[in-house]
Amino acid sequence: MPAISIKNINKTYIDQDGNEVQALHDINLDVAEGEFVCIVGPSGCGKSTLLEIVAGLLDATGGEVMLDGQPVRGTSRDIGVVFQDASLFPWRTVRKNVAFGLEIAGVPKEGREERLKRYISMVSLNGFENKYPAQLSGGMRQRAGIARTLAMNPKVILMDEPFSAVDHLTKCTLQEELINIRQAENKTVLFVTHDINEAVFLADRVVLLSPRPSTIQKIYEIPLEQKRGRNDPLLLKIAAEIAKDINSGGQDIPNNYWGNL
Amino acid sequence: MEKKKKSKNKKKFTWVNLAQLLTVAAFLLWMQWAVDSGRVLTIFVASPTSIVEEGIEIITDGTLWPHLLLTIQEALAGYLSAVVAGIAVGLIWTLFPVSEKYMNVFCSSIMAVPKVAILPLLILWFGIGFQSKAFLVFLFSVFTILYNTVTGTKECKKEYLKVAKVFKANRFQTVFLVIIPAALPSIFNGLKLAAATALTGVLFSEMQSARAGLGYLLTESQNLLNTPRMFFLIILITLLSVGAVKLIDAIEYAISYRWRHV
Repeated sequence: MPAISIKNINKTYIDQDGNEVQALHDINLDVAEGEFVCIVGPSGCGKSTLLEIVAGLLDATGGEVMLDGQPVRGTSRDIGVVFQDASLFPWRTVRKNVAFGLEIAGVPKEGREERLKRYISMVSLNGFENKYPAQLSGGMRQRAGIARTLAMNPKVILMDEPFSAVDHLTKCTLQEELINIRQAENKTVLFVTHDINEAVFLADRVVLLSPRPSTIQKIYEIPLEQKRGRNDPLLLKIAAEIAKDINSGGQDIPNNYWGNL
Repeated sequence: MEKKKKSKNKKKFTWVNLAQLLTVAAFLLWMQWAVDSGRVLTIFVASPTSIVEEGIEIITDGTLWPHLLLTIQEALAGYLSAVVAGIAVGLIWTLFPVSEKYMNVFCSSIMAVPKVAILPLLILWFGIGFQSKAFLVFLFSVFTILYNTVTGTKECKKEYLKVAKVFKANRFQTVFLVIIPAALPSIFNGLKLAAATALTGVLFSEMQSARAGLGYLLTESQNLLNTPRMFFLIILITLLSVGAVKLIDAIEYAISYRWRHV
């Protein structure tokens, strides 16, 4: 049984001019337990919309999302979300930000300590527990955001372009740490990104969405082990293929893709 | 959010500051000379020395204290009840949006009434003593505090609300752990604005009808043509107003300096 099953999701909304816009059209996707799936697509194609629907933050116009065979209504503590800009609360320290979910869930204080320690050290924020978000770098803020999600021990983690706002070197480090965390925690991950290299480096499968109304244009299997080299020839080949397909947008547009990334 | 830089705190004394000081000194000297030489009547302008002398006199002979104390008490009573009521109603509106839908029209109607127009009625109801003053101060401040609180809660970042939703926070948790902390800057802004208007309210009502208070003292000095005393009181009231705002600033800083001023 897949951990997450996205069934016939459609999303239509009314734009400012009162026109109906179809963002997502009949999206079907099964994500197996422990699988890491990346969703890529041209900007504005509805990747984040799809993620918000799976998270329960947005209602779909049609279709449903199943978690372990059960339909999901609204948000669920079994589905964690890591946001694009970490969205930490500036008035809370790193420790209190990471503890936010536990506090909301009413986990008693004695029970929190161990979990907080574990996840703060998992994201290498030891020594920064009492710092405020404004005192941290962008990468550190995102680590705290990841720890906040992990602390709730969700079955599935949704990540919405989590590394898009940090510099390249930090991004590479964070990607490698994410792979380590994934191995240690064995989580199911659905990861939205517009960075093809990031997608092929992290994922077991990459799902390419077409421009709106978005459908699943193509799914790419990445038959490599979780810890893989960035320059693995197969990885580069698949990345080139995705880049080529993304540019064609599923249509017969003359393709100016040069073949390198 | 403004970050105060260290260099800003350790300002250097520049020639611009010197020019400013000289301007003030020149102005004071001109006042002194104009009055002393008889070119300006003492009824219209008081010389700086006479202002200082008058100030020392009413402080030492005990004339000032009862009036000052009463004004502060009236202002505080009205202001503090406005703080409690304003923030409490703001919270209720945020927790139960239907209550805002119901109450907003009444609150904005009362807010639209120029408060000074209500004073004669308040005097009829409460007399010319403490209560009518405190109530007018309350009316002067409560809406500013209420609407700043409500605006602050509505401007909460969408991302924060999404985080609360993802962790399945209930309405109370969302309001108290997310919306209120996020609204603090706006709430404090309202508290500061209201502090200045509170003082205006109490002085106005004391000047209209009272037997004591700084406003009463001011009108009395006018009737007695005691210009130095009027100048002294104006300076004192200004200092009170600035002091009140600075005090609230300090409270805000004490609450939020750790995360806003790093």
